[in-house]
Amino acid sequence: MSDEEHHFESKADAGASKTYPQQAGTIRKNGYIVIKNRPCKVVEVSTSKTGKHGHAKCHFVAIDIFNGKKLEDIVPSSHNCDVPHVNRTDYQLIDISEDGFVSLLTETGGTKDDLRLPTDETLLAQIKDGFAEGKDLVVTVMSSMGEEQICALKDIGPK
Amino acid sequence: MEGQQYQGELLAYLQSTMRAIEAACTSIQMHTNPAAAEATILSLSRSPQPYKACKFIMENSQLANARFQAAGALRDAAIREWSFLSSDDRNNLINFCLNFVFQHAGSPEGYVQAKVSSVAAQLLKRGWLEFSVSEKERFFYQVNQAILGSHGLQVQFVSINFLESLVSEFSPTTSSAMGLPREFIEQCRKSIELDYLKVFYCWTRDAALGVAARIIESDSGTDEVKVCTAALRFMLQIMTWEFRYSSNSVKNINIFSDAIRPDNTLLNRTECIVVQPGPAWREVLLSSGHAIWLVKLYSALRQKFSRDGFWIDCPIAVAARKVILQFCSLAGTVFPSDGGRLHEHHLLQLLSGVIKWIDPPDAVSKEIESGKSSSELLDGCRALYAMATVTTPSTFDKLLKSMRPYGTLMLFSNLMCEVLKVLMTKESDEETWSWEARDILLDTWTAILTTSSGSSENATLPPEGVHAAASVFLLIVESELKGACASVFNDDSASDYLHASISAMDERLASYALIARAATDVTVPLLTSLFNDRLSRLHQGRGIVDPTETMEELYSLLLLIGHVIADEGEGETPLVPNAIQRHFLDYVEAEKHPVVVLSSSVIRFAEQSLDPEARSSIFSPRLMEAIIWFLARWALSYLMSPEEYKEANHDSGLGSTNQIQSYGSKGIILKFFSEYGNGKTVLDIIVRVCATTLLSYPGENFLQGLTCCQLLHALVRQKNICVHLVELESWRDLGHTFANEKILFMLNASHQKSLAQTFILSTAGVKNSDTANQYVRNVTSHMTTYLAELCDKRDLRSIAEQPDIILLVTCLLERLRGAAGACEPRIQKSLYEMGLSVLKAILVLLEIYKHESAVVYLLLKFVVDWVDGQITHLEAQETSIVVDFCMRLLQLYSSLNIGKISLSTSSALLSDAETDKCKDLRALLQLLSGLCSKDLVDFSSDSSDTPTTNISQVVFYGLHIVTPLISLELLKYPKLCHDYFSLLSHMLEVYPEMVGQLNGEAFTRVLQTLDFGLHHQDVDVVSMCLRALKALASYHYKETTCGRPGLGSQASSGSHPTGELKGGILSQFLRSLLHLLLFENYSSDLVGVAADALFPLILCEQGLYQTLGNELIQGQVNPNFRSRLSNAFYALTSANQLSSTLDRINCQRFRKNLTAFLIEVRGFMRTM
Repeated sequence: MSDEEHHFESKADAGASKTYPQQAGTIRKNGYIVIKNRPCKVVEVSTSKTGKHGHAKCHFVAIDIFNGKKLEDIVPSSHNCDVPHVNRTDYQLIDISEDGFVSLLTETGGTKDDLRLPTDETLLAQIKDGFAEGKDLVVTVMSSMGEEQICALKDIGPK
Repeated sequence: MEGQQYQGELLAYLQSTMRAIEAACTSIQMHTNPAAAEATILSLSRSPQPYKACKFIMENSQLANARFQAAGALRDAAIREWSFLSSDDRNNLINFCLNFVFQHAGSPEGYVQAKVSSVAAQLLKRGWLEFSVSEKERFFYQVNQAILGSHGLQVQFVSINFLESLVSEFSPTTSSAMGLPREFIEQCRKSIELDYLKVFYCWTRDAALGVAARIIESDSGTDEVKVCTAALRFMLQIMTWEFRYSSNSVKNINIFSDAIRPDNTLLNRTECIVVQPGPAWREVLLSSGHAIWLVKLYSALRQKFSRDGFWIDCPIAVAARKVILQFCSLAGTVFPSDGGRLHEHHLLQLLSGVIKWIDPPDAVSKEIESGKSSSELLDGCRALYAMATVTTPSTFDKLLKSMRPYGTLMLFSNLMCEVLKVLMTKESDEETWSWEARDILLDTWTAILTTSSGSSENATLPPEGVHAAASVFLLIVESELKGACASVFNDDSASDYLHASISAMDERLASYALIARAATDVTVPLLTSLFNDRLSRLHQGRGIVDPTETMEELYSLLLLIGHVIADEGEGETPLVPNAIQRHFLDYVEAEKHPVVVLSSSVIRFAEQSLDPEARSSIFSPRLMEAIIWFLARWALSYLMSPEEYKEANHDSGLGSTNQIQSYGSKGIILKFFSEYGNGKTVLDIIVRVCATTLLSYPGENFLQGLTCCQLLHALVRQKNICVHLVELESWRDLGHTFANEKILFMLNASHQKSLAQTFILSTAGVKNSDTANQYVRNVTSHMTTYLAELCDKRDLRSIAEQPDIILLVTCLLERLRGAAGACEPRIQKSLYEMGLSVLKAILVLLEIYKHESAVVYLLLKFVVDWVDGQITHLEAQETSIVVDFCMRLLQLYSSLNIGKISLSTSSALLSDAETDKCKDLRALLQLLSGLCSKDLVDFSSDSSDTPTTNISQVVFYGLHIVTPLISLELLKYPKLCHDYFSLLSHMLEVYPEMVGQLNGEAFTRVLQTLDFGLHHQDVDVVSMCLRALKALASYHYKETTCGRPGLGSQASSGSHPTGELKGGILSQFLRSLLHLLLFENYSSDLVGVAADALFPLILCEQGLYQTLGNELIQGQVNPNFRSRLSNAFYALTSANQLSSTLDRINCQRFRKNLTAFLIEVRGFMRTM
């Protein structure tokens, strides 16, 4: 099982660099940043100085885009930070299997069956209910730094 | 027998009620089931005519809390049922409360007494306009007797308290809510102000006179002190009353009233209410030696209790000082027009008392440092402030001269110096008395130095004042510099606190500047020498000693100098300050003019920052911030001033000496920095300094923000600067770097936006319109070209998600936004082309970046800004292209987002996603509002042969696309909600005829939204919906009376084909509006707008209105209420000669009728 997962990870990254350097001062609220090797979304930026006549530094509060944990970092604002490459792809939802995996239709007509449903009860319910009602659902899969997760759901009308 | 039995039952009932209430009160206190207990108490006040029970509890309960609640219930019930209580009942209730207060005057539970006396006051106010004069006299006779002291001290005390609650009930700001119209409150206020306040004042004054004598004579007497304090407090309350009717509104030519300045609330931290009671009060307040009595009373008490250090803060001392302060701020027609003699005399009397609190300053401050309370000194400062506010500087100075060899200003500046000295010895950041005293004294300076006109600033300040200002400023600078040194090594944890105090700091600097300007001859050279001194210290110590302290001193000095020599230019071009214009008249050579010398020193210092070596050792980001701030402020007043420009052109034939004479000192300075003098050189330096901060201070966002948003904006705001700016090599270089070099893409995106805007605005300096448009094309071509090329790339989808591409796109979009926001008629053409060339790219990017909310928002905002700038100028064909594009944008946005849910385990991310959605939708609504404006303002030169776009149709269509995206959840965001309803109500008001043409689905949605809005808690939203409703109903009524269909089949009753909307929409709204008005909570401000909507609705749906009215009348069980309700309904539609036309007069009549109707029936309708 773990081998299989590893295999898919490297496939998702193919050809694209995982992160890019970017000057800390240019990173704004709602942008992305890597903190402690995790891809995060910035929810708060504040600047301060190192001593009264020192240089500016940025204080970032960010939220891990996969597990929702809060992380913080302080970086001199002229230094570079890593910014993750966050990729999002839409797939049509074909099926939800008993064991908690979803089956998705790719653009090329193939299927993608390696994604788990969210574990969170309410999110799970949102997907399952919509599917059970027979709605035509498109799920958006977010991937970054070798991880993947369903991040959004769109109802494109009844089947 | 029966009577007795009835009595028995009644007693049993009353006792059981009392027990229930007592139990409830206890359970609230013990916190056992408070909800049920509250319900019990509420049921008492809600029940009809609960007066017997309330009185019974108040008289018999042993539980103070129960008595308190019963009084409250009595008040609520009486206010609610007031209109149908008989006049005897009303009198009885008030008498009962008053007697209760008097009888229980000695009761230890003061709060019950206070409650009951406030109930009496509220009831008295409720009936104020109905009671006859003799009835009122009867109430007040009792009160007067009590205040005179014939029933003992305790009764005297409670009766003064009763008056206090009565007066606060009548003052609109402190009255309790009774649901009465503004007019009622205003009439009460007028009546009490004209007929009673003075009487009350005299009563309490006499009471105070009596007890005060006894306090001074005897040693004991806590009750006397209590009464005296209450009396003083009440006098203070009357002295703070906002007199409106008794003061003559006619302008008096008394110098004292002329000297009263409008409240410059922005500058003042200390409140000073000028009391202007008018001539009727002269006898009471001035002629009777009242003021001197007060002063003597305070001194006598002060002497008597001099051994008790704490006495200064006793209530009686505080109250007495406050009354004295109010006497100091007495002004206006209360003084006769005798050339100010009486006023002067009056102030002199007060000053003779007040001076003991503050003089000699050093001794007083020593006493305070060794533990004495500072409140006397602070009140002394406040008294000076009040006196300075109501007099001219010379009168103010003269006051003290009759008592001392020196004037008031001298004492005042000594006091200020003393306070500053104490401040300097304190290291801590804590707010001490010296802080407060300094702030009050600074306000006093402001009051002395600013006059109402502002033109004669400083003109009336006597020479002593100038001298005092100079010495105070010297100390101020010293203390600021000392403070700067001390703060350097403060931990940066204090920075949050500093941010909060920036505006306070600004205010302080503004008052410092005022003082400095009062003595420019001394202060400007002083600042120059201090600045140069610190500069040389910085250079000498380079590499040897830590420069931080000197840097911080320079920082403070720059702020001070900026404030002293230039005014802030919020929104307009500031002039050279008057004080500087009028001084230094004997300087003929510009180079030696002190202001020129000072400015040149700073500019030369700024120029040094261009040297990389100096930059790294001296010019810290913070110091650069001060420099940039200074240059921005200075440039607005001095650099190539348009005034000089005009004058130079005008006088070109005359000799320069002539010019100098006519324009005073200002001419020399402005000439020095004009385009003919050193203006161009200075401008070049400024531009190069700007480029340095942008290029050589990477990541210093605040500094770069100041440069872009303040300094550069200040430059391009003036056309005559732009003329030279666009010629400058350094400016062209900056433009080239902006377009081509990567380094400026490292700036914060919003600063790039501001830079783009600046470049476009600088075209104001380009003479020829073609060249200007070409300039715009040159500036913007890199943005449009890149975006268009990006969208043509085949691998766009895969590269678009790379962070560097996202950053680039974001920056370019911000730049485009900046450019679009700088639209001027002259360059509109090129900006239109700019937008046109990226329209396709925008749609592509909207699709590509559908998951990247930050980019989506920028795309939308660019379109909003661009359309906003362009729409009114567009010709018909261009309009149709733009409108067409906007609709495609809306559709695309809608198709990408409708039905989309974001899934995340993080609630912060989820709420972020919601906020983003909300911001997008607001942008879309703004876009639609922008399109709307085409119908209102149109500068296009169209002939009628080209088909024009029907804007209203387009906007309704747009609303139809946007509305499904707005969920009820999103409407909880106040801004979105407000935008949405204002657009909707605007559309319905301006184009009601379009509503009839909407298709069924759109139509229903509009109406559901309106119905939702009617029940919204925001008053603005409700009133917007009501206005829309009014427009719809009026339109329908007017059309149908002319025999046209109006809103069509959907509006009128019963004929709707789907059958879902039974009775048509107007009848639905009639029903829900009536329900709202009668049974729900709403602000009384809405009644007027609601009347405007209800009237046409009634006219449209006469039949239904009759039915609804009958239903409501039949529903009343109580025959008394039933007849009142039916009479009220009758009066609603027939009083005031209301007729059935929808004109202005009729609408006004209906407004009156509805107000009367609601006052009449809402009380019992809501409770039954």
